[in-house]
Amino acid sequence: MDFQPNGDQQAIQEAVEALLARHAGAERAIALAAKGETDGELEAALAEAGYRDLALGPETGPLEAALVVEAVSRAAGLVSAGASLLVAPMLLGEAAPGPVALAAGDEPVPLRFGAHAPTLLVARGDEAFRVDLTPADREPVPSNFGYPMGRVRADVRAKGRSLGAGSGPRLRAWWRVALALEAAGSMRAALALTVDYVQRRRQFGRPIGSFQAVQHRLAECEVLVSGAHWLALEAAFHGADPERSALAAAHALEAAGRVFHDTHQFTGAMGFTLEHDLHVHTMRLQALRLELGGLGSHRVAASRARWVGTA
Amino acid sequence: MEFGWSEEEERFRQDLRAFLDEELPPNWEEIAAGGPGSDEQVRFCRSFCPRLAERGWLTQHWPREWGGLDASPWRHAILGEEMWARGEPRGPQYMNVNWIGPAIMRFGTEEQKAELLPPIARGEALWCQGFSEPEAGSDLAALRTAAVREGEVYRVNGSKIWTSYANHAERCFLLVRTDPASRRQRGISVLLMPMDLAGIEVREIPSVVGDRYFHEVFLNDVEVPVSCRLGPEDEGWAVVTYALQYERVGAARYARAARILDRLAEEARRRGRLDDPRLLERLGEARAACEAARLLTYRVIDMRAHGAPPSADSQLARVAGTLAERRVADLALELFGPESLAYGSPGAQHFRAAMTAGVAVGATEIQLNLIASRILGLPRE
Ligand SMILES: Cc1cc2nc3c(=O)[nH]c(=O)nc-3n(C[C@H](O)[C@H](O)[C@H](O)COP(=O)(O)OP(=O)(O)OC[C@H]3O[C@@H](n4cnc5c(N)ncnc54)[C@H](O)[C@@H]3O)c2cc1C
Repeated sequence: MDFQPNGDQQAIQEAVEALLARHAGAERAIALAAKGETDGELEAALAEAGYRDLALGPETGPLEAALVVEAVSRAAGLVSAGASLLVAPMLLGEAAPGPVALAAGDEPVPLRFGAHAPTLLVARGDEAFRVDLTPADREPVPSNFGYPMGRVRADVRAKGRSLGAGSGPRLRAWWRVALALEAAGSMRAALALTVDYVQRRRQFGRPIGSFQAVQHRLAECEVLVSGAHWLALEAAFHGADPERSALAAAHALEAAGRVFHDTHQFTGAMGFTLEHDLHVHTMRLQALRLELGGLGSHRVAASRARWVGTA
Repeated sequence: MEFGWSEEEERFRQDLRAFLDEELPPNWEEIAAGGPGSDEQVRFCRSFCPRLAERGWLTQHWPREWGGLDASPWRHAILGEEMWARGEPRGPQYMNVNWIGPAIMRFGTEEQKAELLPPIARGEALWCQGFSEPEAGSDLAALRTAAVREGEVYRVNGSKIWTSYANHAERCFLLVRTDPASRRQRGISVLLMPMDLAGIEVREIPSVVGDRYFHEVFLNDVEVPVSCRLGPEDEGWAVVTYALQYERVGAARYARAARILDRLAEEARRRGRLDDPRLLERLGEARAACEAARLLTYRVIDMRAHGAPPSADSQLARVAGTLAERRVADLALELFGPESLAYGSPGAQHFRAAMTAGVAVGATEIQLNLIASRILGLPRE
């Protein structure tokens, strides 16, 4: 048990932060989102730096990939980090090029990166399917929930290749870890922006962050966000075992609901504007909360894994 | 960074479980139902702790010099988890090994160490914690119990309140004001007071959280030898601060909550309700809260294992623990429904074990204050 990064992990963290400082950030995310695009440049930079191979590396594994996924999300990188760097490699045994979209079942709902992804992974019962997509198979869906959204035609989905018995639960488990990591990253960024805001914004002759009512709710958010961070990393370390991955998602996405409302509350009207970066992180949280059946399904999955014996 | 246990740690946990299976009597559940301060549990801990000590486990994380094994904080954490998950058979002695002993090691004289540490290490000592007063709860530095030096004794007058285990303890880790002119943190001293001195009166305060749980300790002209003072006169606040760092995450309450939750799920299965998605949702929600508390506690243990200075991170763990305990408590009542209303029923017992979480060991609001100022860096009100 050791919560401190070792030398290699620290090097990875520093390198990815440096890369993200150049190729990510709220400003880029806002500009790209306005055009409904993903960040091809960041995607290429991550690939070139070898982060797509981190999850399956000889000296690295899912924990190292998880650290990168969380960092990308914290920096508002507009790439399918969780699906590309963690879920796809763990499911396919190899890296998948370009954005990766994830779907649960066959309803043609809007998917994150669904209009851009050449690869779609579908969880259907006990099996997962890999579907290779062409531009004709996808259609963009306008959205202001922080990610480019798109629908994939139902008939195309049916053409996927099965990844074998048991791959369905595995896809759901890794997906849950990815959701938890991405939520943890977005929450960390939203909370940091808000803590900064309440220190600078003055009303009644004092910083609003000096009111205890404000402090306590932000302190509670800090408890939840820290918990989400460690639960997600632990689940990645343990290979997304069904219980841990569902608990990580359940805790992170519950926290996400809380963090969304509190950070918007304390940034007042300013927090809703495109002038302020908060929305870049918070709107994504709501998108994450709706994936894979939502909060309730993660909780039920955790209970089933622990007490019923099925995920 | 890695989140696995070493083989040696896994083996230790298995050994501990086997030991508990062997040592805990068939009616242990009944004994444990009264809580760590009940007569039955205290009686039991007096025979249990020496056996734990024989194995070297009771104070394994202490230095060898004082009967320990220099074991890592992680091993001690595993011990705490297994004990709390089984209803804490160490009774009140968990306090001795977690923070009273370490405070004596750090601040005690050679005589104090030689006299007081060995009985703790052998599992024979019972202590209580005399901090809170009627006018000094969250605002501990407002304490007024006066200790006036008269030659080789302090004459102590005042009263302590909420003192758990005062009816059983042989010693009290007592906070007093030695400088009557002082205010706040200055002028406070720590006395390691024998509880059999003349002038000490312990009265039970009836409560809904359990029999013999709370006590008031009245101190009338108690003459406490000066040799009982821990650390320098008037500078006891530093001792308290040191002790509290160890106290705050000493009790693995999340492990008890998680264990209760397992019991609740077991009960739900027995009643054929484990296919009810609403119930599964509630169970999953509560379990996630327990797990978050566990990891935030581990984070503090990890910092200790790395020799990092104590920080407000322990407050994150405490707040998370309280959130977890409350969820489990509420679920306990709901799951058993109106049957929980019967005194001593499983629902009532589980609820009682958890209902004080936000107040005992410091109010949640104080912990949130510390997180806001020390971790978030927000300005004072
Ligand atoms: C089960 C249990 C066992 C205990 N055992 C012991 C023991 O063995 N020895 C011992 O010395 N003490 C013991 N205590 C006492 C415990 O330490 C105190 O109850 C605790 O510190 C709170 O003090 P108080 O009860 O006087 O509440 P108060 O200080 O009166 O506070 C009441 C409430 O006011 C609010 N509040 C107070 N200050 C602030 C603030 N600054 N900002 C915002 N809100 C605030 C909080 O919600 C708080 O819960 C025990 C308590 C319990 C419940």
